[in-house]
Amino acid sequence: MKELLRELCQVPGISGFEEEIRACIAEKIRPHVQDMKVDAVGNLIAWKAGRRKAKNELLITAHMDEVGFIVKRVDDKGYIRFAPIGGIDRRTVIGKKVLVGKARIPGAIGLRAYHLVSAKEEKIVPDMADLYIDIGATGKEDAQKLVQIGDEIVFDSDWVEFGNHRIKAKALDDRIGCAAMIRLIQSELPVDCTFVFSAQEEVGARGAFGAAFAIRPHIALVLEGTTAADLPELKEHRQVTRVGAGPVLGLMDRQTLYDRELFERLRALAEKHGIPWQTKRTIAGGTDASAIQTTASGVRVASISVPVRYIHTPSSTASLNDCEQLYVLAERFIETIANEKEDL
Amino acid sequence: MDILTALQELNACHAPSGEEKEIRDCIQRMTLDRVDETHVDALGNLILHKKGTGPKLLFAAHMDSIGLMVTHIEKEGFLRFGCIGGLPAENILYTPVRFLSGIRGTIVPDQAADRSKLTLDDLYVDIGAKDEQEAAEQVRIGDTAVYDTPLNLLGNRLLSPYLDNRISCLALLKAMESIDKSPNDLYFVFTAQEEPGLRGAKPAAFAIDPDYAVVCDVTPAGDQPGSKHYGSSRLGGGAAIKVMDTSVICHPEMVDRLKALAEKNGITAQNDVIVKGGTDAGPLHISRSGVLTGGVSVPCRYIHTPQEMADLRDVESCAALLSAFAESALPALR
Amino acid sequence: MTNTRSLLETLSSLAGPSGFEAEVVRTAVELLKPLTDEAYVDVFGNAVGILRCGKPDAKRILFSAHLDEIGFIVTGAEEGFLRFAPIGSIDPRMLPGRELTIMTDPPTFGIITCLPPHVLSAEEMDRSFPMEDLRIDPGLSKEDVSKTIPVGTPAVYRAGFFSMGKDAVCGKAMDDRACFVAALLALEKLKGKAQEQDIVVLGSTREEIDHGGATVGTFSLDPDLCVAIDVTHAETPDGGPKHTDCVLGAGPAVAFGPNHTPWVRDRLFSLARQKEIPTQRIVMEGKSYTDGWEMQISREGIPTCVVSLPTRYMHTPMETISVQDIESLADLLAAFMEAPGWEGDCR
Repeated sequence: MKELLRELCQVPGISGFEEEIRACIAEKIRPHVQDMKVDAVGNLIAWKAGRRKAKNELLITAHMDEVGFIVKRVDDKGYIRFAPIGGIDRRTVIGKKVLVGKARIPGAIGLRAYHLVSAKEEKIVPDMADLYIDIGATGKEDAQKLVQIGDEIVFDSDWVEFGNHRIKAKALDDRIGCAAMIRLIQSELPVDCTFVFSAQEEVGARGAFGAAFAIRPHIALVLEGTTAADLPELKEHRQVTRVGAGPVLGLMDRQTLYDRELFERLRALAEKHGIPWQTKRTIAGGTDASAIQTTASGVRVASISVPVRYIHTPSSTASLNDCEQLYVLAERFIETIANEKEDL
Repeated sequence: MDILTALQELNACHAPSGEEKEIRDCIQRMTLDRVDETHVDALGNLILHKKGTGPKLLFAAHMDSIGLMVTHIEKEGFLRFGCIGGLPAENILYTPVRFLSGIRGTIVPDQAADRSKLTLDDLYVDIGAKDEQEAAEQVRIGDTAVYDTPLNLLGNRLLSPYLDNRISCLALLKAMESIDKSPNDLYFVFTAQEEPGLRGAKPAAFAIDPDYAVVCDVTPAGDQPGSKHYGSSRLGGGAAIKVMDTSVICHPEMVDRLKALAEKNGITAQNDVIVKGGTDAGPLHISRSGVLTGGVSVPCRYIHTPQEMADLRDVESCAALLSAFAESALPALR
Repeated sequence: MTNTRSLLETLSSLAGPSGFEAEVVRTAVELLKPLTDEAYVDVFGNAVGILRCGKPDAKRILFSAHLDEIGFIVTGAEEGFLRFAPIGSIDPRMLPGRELTIMTDPPTFGIITCLPPHVLSAEEMDRSFPMEDLRIDPGLSKEDVSKTIPVGTPAVYRAGFFSMGKDAVCGKAMDDRACFVAALLALEKLKGKAQEQDIVVLGSTREEIDHGGATVGTFSLDPDLCVAIDVTHAETPDGGPKHTDCVLGAGPAVAFGPNHTPWVRDRLFSLARQKEIPTQRIVMEGKSYTDGWEMQISREGIPTCVVSLPTRYMHTPMETISVQDIESLADLLAAFMEAPGWEGDCR
């Protein structure tokens, strides 16, 4: 799992620009699936036969896209002005390294040196529209040879293992989910499953709509990365989720009330198999489930997520143990669906 | 049907969004002999079908209520919670609540919180537990609670929790009772998960594929002292014929049709424009290739607070208008 | 050959706020009829025009330009004055002293109230009055007002189209009827020529409130490709590069971002180069706030792009556009209608 996740995190793929990560995933799953396709919004959809056909059609999904930026314009002096793709806290982008365009030109998000900043200015974080990327160009013309309006910009962040089974990388949200899905696809499953590596989740669950409409599952399981805010300055109840305390079972977030019976089933499975689990202590966030649940005649949705600190930044952090448990719990869930005799 | 008794029965159900089983079962019992087919879908919507040969009409009333969900138990035995649907902190201070298990409590603020800027983060439910362990013996993470406040009849007016939306469910149930002969193919959908985001109506509409839809909900009245006029209707002014809310502008044909029916049948009615609040009409009107959608609403004060107020005569007017619409001859659209 | 200016003036002057577009839609259908094989008002109230190529298994491209404009709706009456709410998003600073057409039958003239300077303090003079504090004055008595202008009556900015300089025109509802005009001009260029795909032009309704028309229109027409045509912000003295992406007079804008399928967008740029149509590159990093956002996720998802007309002062009665830009936009649309490329089609 670790090697797979490391590889996936290093591949660029921001919302709407998922070509590379999609190709990487496709290559890994191709020998293990019956059929595969890419749809109009860029989802990678794969059908895998299991030991038998399910009574209740199951969809498993994780999103391939990560947050990043897009080039808005090249200014007169050759600096790049940019906008965020997906939700990014602008405080975390100042002074970070990025890669611009398909050629992955290295650049730095600049900020005037501290010596030149007044006491008043120090208290204010500039708007994203006032920030700029320096690619070391000699001027506008030089920059325009390398970079164009509309080019994608990805965080440049390496993979680090540190502390107590912790990992740091960009895009843990949601390459963690993708890694779990790839492992599931590479193993033998008890029941037929449809897997969707969705596109454009970070800009509004955009890929999930069309994928769910095409597939019309009875049940959908969303595998995600979710906010962990287990930092000392926050009271316990505002910590949302905690790293190392196990996968998060979806109960309610800002966009979805997860199917109650499926939540209870996940809770019982986790208890039975000694898998640590938690729920969100503060209601926050949203997943592809928000698009899937109300598609066509309706879908019963469940989610399992891994807590990620500093989510949507280049230095996002998670526990390898939580990642492993996500996979185990998902596997157990598929088993129970396989054993269903009744229409759910 | 006696509205007061029926409302007591519905109010006894514990049915916040996502857990509508109790009220669904109750409504199903109440309508057994009035419909030809019953179906519960993946979201928990209750879909009742009274067959006919004419155009398909969908009546929708949401059966879920707002509520609280326990998200964390503090060491001192106080409960932290998230809101199911819209629950402004200022509406619920010191409000009695009740869990499905029967455990009761009250909502209290953190004493250190800034009262002028209260958020749900500053609130707890106190169930009288002395510590975390004692609390955990009585409630679990994920347990839900609803308002535990009384229902009273004040002359012509009802003062009760959850008139949103049980009073409209009753208006629809009363209409169902009095529909005599209808040329239309009638669907009565008691929707799930409306409060957190109009979620049940979308898949129900897709499955049914109606020609026309009428939503029954409550609508904020604009007749309190110092009213900011979020709603144009008033208590006692009759059935509120929906023109606009934040999720829909009703097709003029539907508004005109409902107004004409009200006039013809001597039903007191008023035009209804609100600038706060959306309804199931939102997802209904843009289902598939589009649905001509209107709304017949019960004007209501203090919506989403522990004690909402509506006028019984408006409820009767709504029921009459809904059944008149169900019985009316409508042009076939396909 | 149609006179672009007079067509713009006719369409933009009609009253049709979101939800109340019937008159504009009827006019739009009449304009579509001579340019298409079939033109009608659909169940939802949209204008639809279909130009069939007559080839079996032909693909279908859907172009959407919305016919609704922002407006107002009456929410109550007070001493002969009307309370109102906006339909769509409106800057309240546009409103004091603003002339309106209230859509009664026949229409009524109204003015949005504005307290005179003599009764305001210096501080109040600096403040923008929120819409809930403003009223419409229809000049009627207290008794007449509720009878003739009931709750739920819509209203729009009073029309006042005029030409500015050599190339610009100014008026209400350029958003988005100017783009509908461009679509008509494009259809005109196709007249009499054999086509390889079916072209559908949707004059959509309710874009300004919930994109309802495009959502149902796209589902109903089930196309293979969608192009939304809408306005975008052009530079003004108080809206420079930090806020806007393009300028008036430099041609239509084609966007980069998640709402714009790369091969469609690339094809548009390639056609523009070939035909020497001036175009501008803009970026929409997320929601495009156009019909394209809903069209893209219809059914199983559809390749989509948004093509935009640069516009100054959007959502005011003084929306300003370049006639040359409309004509370039029409050229680009026509070129795409004739040869969309269909490369990288994922369906």
